[in-house]
Amino acid sequence: MSENYNDNKIIQAQSSETVSAGGSGATPDIDYVRPAEVLEQDLYHGHSFITKWVFCQDAKVIGIQYFLLATFTGIIGLILSWLMRLQLGYPELAGFMTAEHYYQFVTMHGMIMVVYFLTALFLGGFGNYLIPLMTGARDMVFPYVNMVSFWMFFVAVMVLMASFFVPGGPTGAGWTLYPPQAILEGTPGSGMGIILMLVSLVLFVIGFTMGGLNYLITVLQSRTRGMTLMRLPLSVWGIFTATILAMLAFPALLVGGLMLVLDTILGTSFFMPTILKAGEVLEYGGGSPILFQHLFWFFGHPEVYIVALPAFGIVSDLISVHARKNIFGYRMMVWAIVAIGGLSFFVWAHHMYVSGMNPWFGFFFASTTLIIAVPTAMKVYNWILTLWRGNIRMNVVMLWCLGFILTFVNGGITGLFLGNVTVDVPLSDTYFVIAHFHMVMGIAPLMVIMGAVYHWFPLVSGRMLSEKLGKWHFWVTFLGAYSIYFPMHYLGFIGVPRRYFEMYDSPYVTSAVGMNEFISMAAFLVGAAQFILIYNIIKSLKTGKLAGKNPWKANSLEWFTPTVPPEHGNWGNKLPIVYRWPYDYSVPGAKEDFIPQTTPPSKVSDTEVEKT
Amino acid sequence: MEETKKEQTTTHKIGIYLWIWGILFVLSFCSYMVDWFQFQGLLRWSLILTFMFLKAGLIMAFFMHLFWERYALVNVLLWPMTAIACFVFLMVAEFKYTLFSRLFYFFIGG
Amino acid sequence: MSDPKIEGYDFKPGFRGLAQDAGSDQTMFKGVHWGKAMMWIFLLSDTFIFSCFLISYMKGRGSTPAEWPNPSEVFALHVGGVSVPLLLIAIMTFVLITSSGTMALAVKYGYERNRKMCGWLILATALGGLTFVGMQAFEWSKLIHEGVRPWTNPFGAPQFGSFFFMITGFHGTHVSIGVIFLSIYAYKTFAGHYDTGKRGWFTTIKGDYVEIEILGLYWHFVDLVWVFIFAFFYLW
Repeated sequence: MSENYNDNKIIQAQSSETVSAGGSGATPDIDYVRPAEVLEQDLYHGHSFITKWVFCQDAKVIGIQYFLLATFTGIIGLILSWLMRLQLGYPELAGFMTAEHYYQFVTMHGMIMVVYFLTALFLGGFGNYLIPLMTGARDMVFPYVNMVSFWMFFVAVMVLMASFFVPGGPTGAGWTLYPPQAILEGTPGSGMGIILMLVSLVLFVIGFTMGGLNYLITVLQSRTRGMTLMRLPLSVWGIFTATILAMLAFPALLVGGLMLVLDTILGTSFFMPTILKAGEVLEYGGGSPILFQHLFWFFGHPEVYIVALPAFGIVSDLISVHARKNIFGYRMMVWAIVAIGGLSFFVWAHHMYVSGMNPWFGFFFASTTLIIAVPTAMKVYNWILTLWRGNIRMNVVMLWCLGFILTFVNGGITGLFLGNVTVDVPLSDTYFVIAHFHMVMGIAPLMVIMGAVYHWFPLVSGRMLSEKLGKWHFWVTFLGAYSIYFPMHYLGFIGVPRRYFEMYDSPYVTSAVGMNEFISMAAFLVGAAQFILIYNIIKSLKTGKLAGKNPWKANSLEWFTPTVPPEHGNWGNKLPIVYRWPYDYSVPGAKEDFIPQTTPPSKVSDTEVEKT
Repeated sequence: MEETKKEQTTTHKIGIYLWIWGILFVLSFCSYMVDWFQFQGLLRWSLILTFMFLKAGLIMAFFMHLFWERYALVNVLLWPMTAIACFVFLMVAEFKYTLFSRLFYFFIGG
Repeated sequence: MSDPKIEGYDFKPGFRGLAQDAGSDQTMFKGVHWGKAMMWIFLLSDTFIFSCFLISYMKGRGSTPAEWPNPSEVFALHVGGVSVPLLLIAIMTFVLITSSGTMALAVKYGYERNRKMCGWLILATALGGLTFVGMQAFEWSKLIHEGVRPWTNPFGAPQFGSFFFMITGFHGTHVSIGVIFLSIYAYKTFAGHYDTGKRGWFTTIKGDYVEIEILGLYWHFVDLVWVFIFAFFYLW
């Protein structure tokens, strides 16, 4: 494998400045693009440190801010997982930890990783950075609101972190926060902890709504000339659809959270049934705990796809670029994303098979769950077919993509087990479930994030990340993650329940103990390996190889800004004009193996490009 | 669009707004009458829902101009309602089941 | 709100137009202001919030074995010794629909660049909203006086008070926010910001009467939600 694709002489002739508007070429007809409908966007340019880097209205800076803050919370989540693994693998070393601590760590780890890390990173981080660049916009449509969105997220994170320091500590109710136990005495953090958690979630939802409106309207109403929806890179499609899901799913969380706050503070009984405590009847009565589960999972299941869809989209782009081949079945991929997004609102109660809901629901939700596997499987086939006979560059980015496909298939197959009611019932609340969702929505999207970081770091910073360190990072993470989660499937099969602080003396304790020690060792190692990436980033920022323009020879618009890294306003004096989809790689008859989106048809008239 | 290139938007005659306004008053009055005459059962429900959807439809179609908007916007706004419809439908089944199990176990004795 | 004219773009009607708009470049909602598109998507999200509230209410009310208070009696007013069911609610409904109508006319006059008329109609709308909030405050205090609390009430199922205060409170918050924005926009209209294209306070986007339509969308939405609350909470 060579690294000569970093050579980027060819690209200069095709950058956006040299492309003129329709009508001036040799063959005026085929290069015609409709004139602009919208006048250019005025931007507020920051002029001090505060307005340039802190309260900044540039989507790219906001994206990086989101990225850094999400990574910070992610590292906290990682440390919590280390503490949990320490307790599970080596309880004798974790004497400082009580069962209460353990539940709090479980809860905070789950909530942080799903909402404050993955959601914020994909939509806030990658969404902000990539959407305006990939659609050919100067910025998000409402830069001020976008800035407020980030600072709402910041406040939400601060409130969440504050809950570590209040009396009673953070909530220990599990990330699903099920009432009644979430707000009853005896659950750790049932006082201030749960209230701060819910307040933080409400703030997150408000902040996210501000950002989400920006992403949606930018994609829908602010694309550059020639950029149709079917010429958008799949990254944008994934982030866009995930944002729609978020806009429609977060309301359920908001409502559930508000009602739970009222139950806690005012003593209402939305979710609280009559409860006997130490022989005494509590004030509560007549509420419906299962209602909260429905509300939570009406949010919770789309949330899974809020994390997964951007990963699907981004990985499609990475695979296509690094296999030098157009994405197989682009339209099918788009429709699959949309179909998964739509269906995700009809599957939520497959998380509740053992909750005591109406037993007939099992039929409905098992059916819809298995239906949603169809578009998902189509996507996997298409990734594999994109790789098939491609000119694959086996670099770090590609390694992460391959790792993703493997992990995702793995997690998807265990999903089929859990989607069927009869198979799910014995597996519910065991380590099998832990293994399943960590594979499918933890490790798999994380692999895409890593691949995306290696892929777009040259754009953001102008320098390449070290491939050597990257390969170490990948292999330790990949093999380590499998060492963690493969044995967990087995633990689930022998019936080890999740969320247990300690196994005590049980029949399966002999086989589980050794395995737990092994898993814990792997978890420490994988966690530590992530710091290779941080080291790599810091080192490469200073000493990395200069990337120049378009180091990967990619087609999509973000690589064709006049300056690298792009400036505020992205496109200099002239907005780019788009003539094709971003996947014209290895086109028969073309001089280069890639044709950027900004190349007019007249320049490649003798090649067999796709009509898009 | 920040500054659309289009010229002045054409508006509708005032008559149509006044008509819709009047119909909304009449429909509200009708739904109030449902309670006044204490209709019960299926009749009450069908009347309440009919008046409700008529009012909602009129407000959306004319006051919010959806009737004149292009289908692209209308479809984007209305299709997500299927998720709500599904949620409502399933929660009706759910509350019936919860009520059944409460009556069965707490009052009849399971 | 007939189709805008866009250079090089032929509008097709109906579903053909939907396919054409979705397949075209630059924008999907042709001629729709960014702010208006944003407000629509926001209202869609808000619809899901209110739907979740009402669905929770349905689930909570439907599954409680305790007697649910009869809203027709609980919300009755005594006028001259006669108990009139839902009188206050009926008046509130009429006030809100009236304000919705004035708002619709304000949008119309705004687009016709009739600054004075538009401004007065927005003020009338704000006044209607204020009246509504005032009557809601009266309703709340009357119920609180009768012993209804979020956690209990003398009429039956305790969830009655919980859902009542939560849902009408959330709606009332929307109305109050609307009144605040109506007042701001009335000022901006009278000051002529939309005639001169003055930029907003937090944005570089130039003022335009389309902002009155965006405000109107929000206000009509508040009315729309009340239609559902009226049907499900007071008439059920």
